[in-house]
Amino acid sequence: MSHTTTATLAAEHITLAHGQFTVAENLSIRLPPEKVTAIVGPNGCGKSTLLNGLARIHKPRSGSVLLDGKDIHRLPSKDVARKLALLPQDNSAPEGLTVADLVRFGRQPHQGWMKQWSVEDQQAFEAAIRAADVSDLSERALDTLSGGQRQRAWIAMAVAQQTPLLLLDEPTSALDLGHQIEVFELIRTLSQQGKTIAMVVHDLASACRYADHMIAMKAGEVIEEGAPAHIVSPELVRELYGVQCDLIPDPSTGSPLLVNVRRCT
Amino acid sequence: MPDSRNLLVNAILSVLALFLVVLSLSTGTVQVSLPDTLKALSGNADPMTLFVVNELRLSRVMAGLLSGAALAIAGCLMQTLARNRLATPGIIGIDNAATAFAVASVVGAGLSVAPSAMALAGAAAATAIAFGLAGANGTRGYRFIVAGVGIGAIAGAVTQVMLSRVAIDAANAAYPWTVGSLNARSEHSVTILGLGLAIGCLALIATSRALNTLQFSDAVAIALGTRLKATRILGLGLSVMLTGLAVSVCGPVGLIALLAPEFARMLCRPGKMPLMAAALTGAAFMVIADLIGRTLFAPLEIPVGIITAIVGSPYLLWILLRPSPRSLT
Repeated sequence: MSHTTTATLAAEHITLAHGQFTVAENLSIRLPPEKVTAIVGPNGCGKSTLLNGLARIHKPRSGSVLLDGKDIHRLPSKDVARKLALLPQDNSAPEGLTVADLVRFGRQPHQGWMKQWSVEDQQAFEAAIRAADVSDLSERALDTLSGGQRQRAWIAMAVAQQTPLLLLDEPTSALDLGHQIEVFELIRTLSQQGKTIAMVVHDLASACRYADHMIAMKAGEVIEEGAPAHIVSPELVRELYGVQCDLIPDPSTGSPLLVNVRRCT
Repeated sequence: MPDSRNLLVNAILSVLALFLVVLSLSTGTVQVSLPDTLKALSGNADPMTLFVVNELRLSRVMAGLLSGAALAIAGCLMQTLARNRLATPGIIGIDNAATAFAVASVVGAGLSVAPSAMALAGAAAATAIAFGLAGANGTRGYRFIVAGVGIGAIAGAVTQVMLSRVAIDAANAAYPWTVGSLNARSEHSVTILGLGLAIGCLALIATSRALNTLQFSDAVAIALGTRLKATRILGLGLSVMLTGLAVSVCGPVGLIALLAPEFARMLCRPGKMPLMAAALTGAAFMVIADLIGRTLFAPLEIPVGIITAIVGSPYLLWILLRPSPRSLT
C-alpha cells in the first residue's frame, strides 16, 4: 500500500475552548510529513482537544486548521475524510457489528450515490484487514473482542480510508504491554508506507521510542517541540509532570529512557 | 456491498405485508375469498365484491399500511438520533402534541385548518420545544427525552380539556384521535401521508450512508465524512414530518414506532439502520392490528391503538427487562 498523495496539516493561531473554558490559546503547530508525531503532556493539558481540533471534530474559536493550506472547516467533509482519518477515544459501535462491517465503513468517504462498493474498495478493505492483522477476526462481533483486538479493528477502519494523514487519540490506552507494542509497531509500519501520523500518547517512554517528532504541551501551551532525543530532558520531564528522573539512552535504539523516576523534593 | 441477509428479511416482510393486506381486504362482515379479492384488485369481479374490496376496504387498509410504515420509520430515526431505544416520537410526546392540534381542528376550537397540517404543526412544535429545553446536548441525552415526556403529558391534558368542553357530538367525533383508530381518517390526509412517505423514502435512500454513521460517536461520524448537523436535522425533520402525517391519519397509535424498529433490528444485520425492514414491519403490524380490531368482536370495533397497546406492551416489557438487551450503541 503506497500513498502517492501526501497532505499537510497545520494549525495556525488556533484558540480552542470548551464552552466558557479556554483550553488552548493561539496555538500553532505543523505536522512533519511522513513522520510520526507524538503529542504528550499531563492530564488536562489540552492534547486531546488539540488532536480533535486538527481532526475538525472540535471547531476552534479563532484561528484555522489548514489541510493542504486550506481551512479545513471550509472544505467538503467528504473530501477531508479522504485525506484525514481519525481513531477517536470514544469508539463505541452498534452492538453486534462485525470487524469486517466496521472496516467497510472506512470506505464510506470513497463511495457515493452512483459509486457503490467497487473493486478498489474491496482491495483497500482487504489491505486494511491485512495491515492491522485482523483477518482471523473479520467475522467476529466487536463486542466479543479483547481491547487490543478491538483497537486493531478500529485502526483497520482508519487504514481502509486510505488517507495520507492519520490521527490517533490515545491508541494504546487500556492495552497491555504486548498489545501496546503491537499497535505502536503497526503505526511505525504505516508511517514507513508514507502516512503522516499524529498521536496523543500518555506514556512518555513510548512516545520517545516510536515518534520521530514530539510536541510537549502543558496548560494549553506547546512548551517544547522537536525530535524526542533532542528535546526530552530531566528538566522537561520535571516541567511536564512534576517529577524528577534520570535519562539514559536505550542500549538498542538510542532513544531516551526514563529511569529512577521520583517525586520532586 | 450486497447484503443477502437484509435482502431476504425485506423480501419475507414484503410478502408478509402483502399477504396481510389481501387478508384484511377479504375479511369483514362480507367475507370475500382470497382469489376473489385478488380479482377485485385487478378490476374483474362482480360489482358487489368490487365495491366491498375497492371502495369500502382498500382505502382503510392503505391508510393502515402507510401510517404503520411512517410511524416505524419515524421511530427508527428518532431512536438513532437520540441514541436511546426509548426515544420514539410516541414516548417523547410528539404523537400527543400532534393529536392535541388535530383534535383542536376537529372539535373546531376556533381553528379550521386541515388535520394533516394541524398534526404536522403540533409535531413540529413539540419537537422544537423539547429541542429548546434540551439545551446544548440536542437530541442526545436524557434532557431531550424528559422534556419530551413533559410536553407529551401537557399535550395529553390539553386534549382532554378540549374534549370535556365541547358538545358531546364533537367530542365523539374526536374520540378516535385520542386512542388511535383508522376510522376517523380523511382521504385527503391519507393522500398527503402517501406523498410525504414517498418524499421521505427518497430522502432516506439518498442519505442512508450518512445516517448509518450516526450510530457511531460524533467523532467517528465526522471522521467518516458525514455532515453531522445537516444529517441530524434531516433525520429529525423526516421523523417529525412522518409522525405528524401518520397521526393525522390514524391518531397516536402507540408502540409501533417502538416495536417495529426493535423487531427489524433483531432480524437484520447490525451496522445499518434497518429502515426498510422497520417500515415493512410497522405496516404489517398496523394492518393486522386493525384487522383484529375490527373482526374480533364484530360488529363492535376496537380501535387499532388499543390492539397495538395490548399486543405491544408485553413485548415492550420483554425488551426492557431482557438481561442482555441489544442496544443501539
